[in-house]
Amino acid sequence: MRSSGTSAILAALAASTMIFGIGAASAQEAVKGGVLRILATGEPDHIDPMAGAMVNTNNLARAISRQLISYEASNDPEVAMRAVGDLAVEVPQPTDNGLTYTFKLRPNVMWNAPSGPRAMVAADMERGIKKMCNPQLQPATLSYFTGLISGFAEFCDGFAKVEPTAPAIKKYIEENSVPGISAPDDQTIVIKLKERAGDFIYMLSLQNAAPAPVEALDFVPDSPEYRANYVSVGPYTIGEYTPDTLLRLVRNPAWNAESDPLRKAYVDEIEITMGLQADAIMQQLQSGDADIAYDINVPTAILSTLAAQGDEKLTALSAGNTNFITINTQSNNNNGALKDLRVRQALQYAVDKSAIVQQWGGSTVAEPVHGIFGVGLLGHHKFDLYPSTDSKGDPEKAKALLAEAGFPDGITLKMPYRNKDLEVATAATIQASMARAGIKLELTPVTAADYYSKYLTSEANIKDGTWDIAPVGWTPDWVGGAARSVFQPQFMFDGTHQKYNYADYNNPKANEVAAQAINATTPEETAKLWAQVDEIVMGDAPVVPLIANKNPRYRSEAVKNYQTYALGVEGDWTNVWLER
Amino acid sequence: MSETAVEETDVVQRGALDLTLRRLRRDRASMMALGIIVCVILLAVLAPWIATLTGHSPIEQFRETGMTPAGIPVGPNAEFWLGTDQLGRDVLVRLAYGARISLLVGVLASLAASLVAIVVGLTAGYFGGLVDIILSRVIDLVMSVPFLLCALALVSALGPSILLSVAVIVFFSWAPMARVIRGQVISLSRQEFVQASRALGAGPLSIMVVDILPNLAVPIIVYTTMQIPSSIVFEATLSFLGMGIVPPTPSWGGMLADASSNSLYLIAWWMVFVPGLALLMTTLAFNILGDGLRDALDPKSSRMARNLKRQKKAASKP
Repeated sequence: MRSSGTSAILAALAASTMIFGIGAASAQEAVKGGVLRILATGEPDHIDPMAGAMVNTNNLARAISRQLISYEASNDPEVAMRAVGDLAVEVPQPTDNGLTYTFKLRPNVMWNAPSGPRAMVAADMERGIKKMCNPQLQPATLSYFTGLISGFAEFCDGFAKVEPTAPAIKKYIEENSVPGISAPDDQTIVIKLKERAGDFIYMLSLQNAAPAPVEALDFVPDSPEYRANYVSVGPYTIGEYTPDTLLRLVRNPAWNAESDPLRKAYVDEIEITMGLQADAIMQQLQSGDADIAYDINVPTAILSTLAAQGDEKLTALSAGNTNFITINTQSNNNNGALKDLRVRQALQYAVDKSAIVQQWGGSTVAEPVHGIFGVGLLGHHKFDLYPSTDSKGDPEKAKALLAEAGFPDGITLKMPYRNKDLEVATAATIQASMARAGIKLELTPVTAADYYSKYLTSEANIKDGTWDIAPVGWTPDWVGGAARSVFQPQFMFDGTHQKYNYADYNNPKANEVAAQAINATTPEETAKLWAQVDEIVMGDAPVVPLIANKNPRYRSEAVKNYQTYALGVEGDWTNVWLER
Repeated sequence: MSETAVEETDVVQRGALDLTLRRLRRDRASMMALGIIVCVILLAVLAPWIATLTGHSPIEQFRETGMTPAGIPVGPNAEFWLGTDQLGRDVLVRLAYGARISLLVGVLASLAASLVAIVVGLTAGYFGGLVDIILSRVIDLVMSVPFLLCALALVSALGPSILLSVAVIVFFSWAPMARVIRGQVISLSRQEFVQASRALGAGPLSIMVVDILPNLAVPIIVYTTMQIPSSIVFEATLSFLGMGIVPPTPSWGGMLADASSNSLYLIAWWMVFVPGLALLMTTLAFNILGDGLRDALDPKSSRMARNLKRQKKAASKP
């Protein structure tokens, strides 16, 4: 569960795919070989797939590891978001009233072990899941698994007491088992859940749930030694690695194409060069000196030029994320005005969402949203409880609601904003549109690094009313049926304060429908129930939804067969080929 | 200058001020600099008038006429003479209002810094001993603190505002001037007129203010003038980093920051050129004027001396 700044994408999911122009690449003859040159501003957050948290790290994990379940790379959103078997032969139907999942593993999948190729077995998968709750380094998505897999939480509690050294971690993993995970034979793994969960399959597509070879336990997770002795099951493995400078992926000799229906692995090498500025990266992509960017969106200014030229190498991909204004209902400023539903509704009417869309680069890269779920999520549907023409807002209605609530002369609110890229302009846009309705915003710039971690999530800041409203962003953790990863962390309060449910919003009715939605088995029913949750929540107006933005991507002329890998929000490295 | 310079000529007797102005007027660079400063002041004073003339307020966003549907600012045209910025606001109007901020912060901070410098420098230089040691170490301390790091930390802790910007700038700019004044005061306080004053029963405060201070006029005027451009640049730096003047209030540094965000400068040259040129010309003008003032106020200063020597040489040659 991660909150994301609008430009810094943290969690993973891709939904609708918007293409400015699709090259006829797929009709051409595939070319093998060459070096795929990728440019990055910084390091991957982790190399051990067990720990990766950033969206773009999924692309790396796609090349050097595999999951039980994954997605086909495709520019057709339907295909790109459909869960298919990766290490598993197929996506199984749960038995035992939706509580037991039995996966048949693909034969002939090989580890590139130091002693020579070795077959991957069910025990490796089990080890990979167990490794997630090691005391040294845990993935952000761990709580999804501990909350669902039977006995996993207890296993992790015991693990927490273990010394964070490689021998101790190895000993605990090898000597203890999780009651809910069993391997009746080398090709079968059975996972038992505590409660039904229609989205469990998607969780297994996360890079964090990758299998782990026995050699991985010889090192502390994601330590320099681990990275130097990486054992891969994917089509590529680590060839050369200099932190902050270069990561070169070479072919994994143990991998064979027949065992992997999702990755074609056309290029011979993938070379990631780090430490570059966004402008420099764009220039090299345009000149053809490099092929793909690792961690930047195309800057707005360049975007408009490329779009105007109709450059077909420009693609805008959605990560299912939304940007919205969160409202601090605990603030006692203005006599606790924000506790009043009418004031919160006034905010909904005051904002000009079309102006923010324009600020982000126009309708090709962003669209206004009116609910809590982003485009592409099961549960996202077109509705607007606070409608206005072209989503430009309705200042008059906002004024009327404010007057009704006892603020005929308007109101003054404190709004911090993240002092980074487009978010500065977004804050100024919100300020101008709120001013039309007599809502005066006092802006406070906060440094990007502190915005979420220190400023917004500080309970003292929330209680003292240091901020009244704040523009924030959220990206769901996986694809399609990911409504849970939007709702649970942000809109549910069970007595324990959750970091990103800033003001402890809770609605028992919404929770009840959400529980039904999680238990629902068909996508149609799931979508319908989450749509209800969306409308219930928006009735309380705890947030002002602004826009769902897409992530503009650019590639060089040489890159062909650019098919989107949904979790990575980028063309799949393992399926592109190069024509220089 | 306490003594009246008397020139033994046929008719005119000129005062110090008159002479200074005459010398200044002869310096063409200084006069041009003064012209530019007057223009900037006019721009600042006339800002509301420019807003009325164009019909654009500095914070109004013209989303229909000032921006393309894809959010790109429009260049200079009949409606927006100097183009618009990334929010569809009129750059000309913002430039004029930004001049107010720059001048306000520049002049205010420089005056305040000078005041602090005068008080500290006088006290340290006049009293000497332990007082001098303590104050001098404080000066050293302030001069050794990294400006940007500290300023950013302070602003992030306290929240940005004009007043805080001024305070930060004052804190980091009084020290060099204080050191110069201290040196001058030490040499002045040993001179006979000070001893005479003391013999006549004048107290320390009276000696400092009545006798010594007027002799410091030259360094004070010159340093204050030279401080103005640095203060303007300090403010622009803070605003550029998003930690100075709070948006949407326009400031030149903030306008430059707007241009650099999201690579807008690549397609909207006016967003860099206009505030950048204004900043450059203003600081340059203040610096040149400061130089000119020093030369005019103090004929013994290096440049004047050089000129005189050259004249003498030229005269003695034939």
